[in-house]
Amino acid sequence: MKKSLNILLSTVVAVLLLAGCAANKAENTGNQASEVTKAAPKEETLKIFIPQPQFKEQYDKFVADFVAKVKAEKNIDVKVQMEMPPNDQAPQILKTRLAANDVPDVFALHAINDLPTYYKAGYVEDLSNQPFVEKILDSVKSAVTIEDKVLAVPLETLNWGYLYNKKIFADLGLEPPATVTEMKAVIETLKKNDITPFQLTYKEVSPPQLFNSLTIGAMVNTDNQDFIDRMNSDKGSYEEIKTELFGIFDLVSANGNDRALEVSPADGAAAFAQGETAMWVMGPWYADTILKSNPDIQIGVAPLPINDNPNATMINMSVSTSLVVATDSKNKELAYDFVNFVLDDNETNDLYKSLKFNPIAKNHTFETYPWVNDALDYIKEGKAYKDPSMPPAVKAEVGKLLQAYYSNSISQDDVISGLDRAWKNANKINN
Amino acid sequence: MRTARLGSSVITIVLSLFAIVSFFPLYVTVLNSFKTEKEMFSSILSLPSTLQIENYSQALQKTQLLSSLGNTVIVSVLGIAGILLFAAMAGYKLSRTPGKLSNFIFFLFIASMLVPFHSIMIPLVKTTKTLSLQGSIYGLAVIYIGLGVNMAIFLFHGFVKSIPRELEESASMDGCGQFRTFTTIILPLLLPITVTVGILKFLWIWNDFLLPLLMIQDTNDYTLILSTNKLFGEYTKEWSLILAALVLTAIPVVIIYAIFQKFIVAGIAEGAVKG
Amino acid sequence: MKNKYLALLAFVAPAFIAYFVMLVIPTLGGFYYSFTDWNGLAKSYHFIGLDNFVEAVTDDPDFIHSISFTLKHVIFMVIAQNVIALLLAILIESQRKMKGFFRTIFFMPNMVSLIISSFIWTFMFSQVLPQLAVKTGWLFLNQEWSGNPKAAFFSIAIVSLWQGVGYMMIIYLAALQGVPQSLREAAIIDGASPVKSLVHITLPMITHAFTICFFLTLNSAFKVFDVVYGLTGGGPGRETQVITLNIFEEAFSNNFRYGYASAKSVLLFAMIMLFTFVQVFVMKKREVEA
Repeated sequence: MKKSLNILLSTVVAVLLLAGCAANKAENTGNQASEVTKAAPKEETLKIFIPQPQFKEQYDKFVADFVAKVKAEKNIDVKVQMEMPPNDQAPQILKTRLAANDVPDVFALHAINDLPTYYKAGYVEDLSNQPFVEKILDSVKSAVTIEDKVLAVPLETLNWGYLYNKKIFADLGLEPPATVTEMKAVIETLKKNDITPFQLTYKEVSPPQLFNSLTIGAMVNTDNQDFIDRMNSDKGSYEEIKTELFGIFDLVSANGNDRALEVSPADGAAAFAQGETAMWVMGPWYADTILKSNPDIQIGVAPLPINDNPNATMINMSVSTSLVVATDSKNKELAYDFVNFVLDDNETNDLYKSLKFNPIAKNHTFETYPWVNDALDYIKEGKAYKDPSMPPAVKAEVGKLLQAYYSNSISQDDVISGLDRAWKNANKINN
Repeated sequence: MRTARLGSSVITIVLSLFAIVSFFPLYVTVLNSFKTEKEMFSSILSLPSTLQIENYSQALQKTQLLSSLGNTVIVSVLGIAGILLFAAMAGYKLSRTPGKLSNFIFFLFIASMLVPFHSIMIPLVKTTKTLSLQGSIYGLAVIYIGLGVNMAIFLFHGFVKSIPRELEESASMDGCGQFRTFTTIILPLLLPITVTVGILKFLWIWNDFLLPLLMIQDTNDYTLILSTNKLFGEYTKEWSLILAALVLTAIPVVIIYAIFQKFIVAGIAEGAVKG
Repeated sequence: MKNKYLALLAFVAPAFIAYFVMLVIPTLGGFYYSFTDWNGLAKSYHFIGLDNFVEAVTDDPDFIHSISFTLKHVIFMVIAQNVIALLLAILIESQRKMKGFFRTIFFMPNMVSLIISSFIWTFMFSQVLPQLAVKTGWLFLNQEWSGNPKAAFFSIAIVSLWQGVGYMMIIYLAALQGVPQSLREAAIIDGASPVKSLVHITLPMITHAFTICFFLTLNSAFKVFDVVYGLTGGGPGRETQVITLNIFEEAFSNNFRYGYASAKSVLLFAMIMLFTFVQVFVMKKREVEA
């Protein structure tokens, strides 16, 4: 008894002490922002952060070329510290680095989702005067431009809706449908031929979240043009697009593989590649993975219908991975050199081609993949829109809520109210 | 007597069933790490028809396992050495100095064992950055020392109580300095608990995931667990490769376990009883 | 006398400095930020008093959900882990042969790190058990182990138990071995059945082991992170989100509200303190009375 009292008392004292000291600690922490010890002359370090470990080989080669070029032209030995964490862990790692003033000189951001936030917080350098700016295609440039400042060099652009197996479609005489009603007919045909219509990969939050971007993208370009503006000023509600969102999500989910919550996109890519399923609401950024599993598959890209208005069935054009230079970079000249090198006339075609990215610059002349051309055809017809920008926190929320909805844990109304709340919270932070 | 023997064999059977369940996951993991993906999907329980050593050589390349192994060894050795030395000194002196001050310091150490790592991680990153300990495996070792001494002191503190005071008293009468008394008389006597603490800390550092994830940037500085995690994070899920990497990551720990089992077990029991 | 304190300082200083810098300063930092609106990105932040704490308790259904899920996990784990560990310890102790063998087998999973364990079990749940179900006809093995919220609760528990039971078993084994053989034999000679002698003689003599094992299981169950992170990521949705994961999400993937996340981690800290103190206090009291 005495012993336990003893332990109790002393620990309470310890805790009180800890809490009491918190106030004194206050002033110090802020000022401890540190200086990195300067590297010796002619030897420089460049820290680069690109969360795409699947492309390590390609980037390593590119970095080696960059190091050789700097050595030759400026006689500087660059030591490049390349950090490539898995994509899903990247935000928290980057966040931690920034919070700790340990900023990578060059880092990758999602142009639509992340760039505005990071720019507002003052972490992103204005690159408008860099030579590479001239080379970017205008349609892409707008996505990396905020307040008339070009902030990033775009790496990955995405033209997407859903993927489909061209051979299955051709064998059954199917065409990508233009309305939900037509989609239902396609589903029936596929089922009659014992093919699962949709690949579902809800183990991760990003695939279900795609329905949100596609639904909102289509709606703000047709029937509900000020939806996002009103959501941003706390005046809208997901109630307005509930029919479309759940209409398409339920249709797809009801006609897909079992145990979707245990299938990761990587697993799904394999199943889709083997022809087990005919369609997958997913972007061509999984093309590489699919082709690894089955090099002979013919992948097609088509716009996903969300209602019976054929004009709402459009391709989503987005710019994702883009490289920015940190405002706090200690080595800006080298960082500028690096981002310019990405669109270097001699290098850029090899880089983009090896990464299987789309052409984004005037000097990109490499041959593109068939699915890229599919999407380009829609874009040429005007059946495309620019990926709508909304708070990243809302996008993350969509994925989680739709997962829970799919597992029958929550109702449609719960999803709606959850999304409205998430958007309002995001407004609170951003304003 | 007969019922007793019957009871005993029933117990053996029950225990064996438990043992099979417990061992099964490790068994199938090792088993399938030697199969091709195709064979795994068709017959997951059977022995591999041919030993796919390629899984391992591929995993070795993809995870830079050898350099990761080197890093992990450096971090573990430096971290453990620091923890052992510092904690032995502190634990010994705290145990031998009666009074409120030493009690208080001791309880400060112990109380901190309750702090969840998640509540300190960003401030920790900030602090370590200020001290330039970020992004280096040596810095990582230093952080482990700071985070690991509390529990080690607890164990040393308990062990020292069992050493008779007469030994040091006679030594100090011989005119031995305090520090020399410690290194020549006490340290050798602490050997059993030192081995135990060393192994427990080895298991902790070797198996830790979140701290290296936050501290290490360059893939060349990755620890084993980070490299394995990277494999999991990559787009293509190639189970045979991943299983091989899992086995490779776990092997050193199992070897240590096989050699030092007695100490590990003693350490856990020791720590518990002393508490 | 002065000399004594000088010596104390000299011996304790190296450990204390390392501990202070790596553990105390960050802990205090966490407390400090919990009263601010620092969002992890912005370079400035303000004091906002108790706002974060008020919001966490009154206006954050996800946080409340994560608390209730964690509490369920804690209750399940404290009971299951101790019951199984004690059972194994008693059974092994009653064996004459193969004690070492069984101990080795049951303890081995504890050597594998939690994150690796969750990878191994992801393999078990997604590949091995479904095939096993087909081959044996034991259809219950073919569950949505990580996709169905109810099943996922148990998958998390299964992995935690698989990895953690061995540790507790070792402690119980050590305690059982500390009970004098003569006492038990005497009871049996007096005509007590083995079960009776267990309940009335042996168990009361190992109450200190109960205290420490409950303490350890309570603590680790509250802090559970790696297993959930590796197995379900908190999903589907946030159905299996535990407190640590909720904090992690709040700090790093939602709005990066680090101040708010710090407030939640202070609450977690307080909860752990409260529960473990009550537990240790109550059990120590009984220990002394017993």
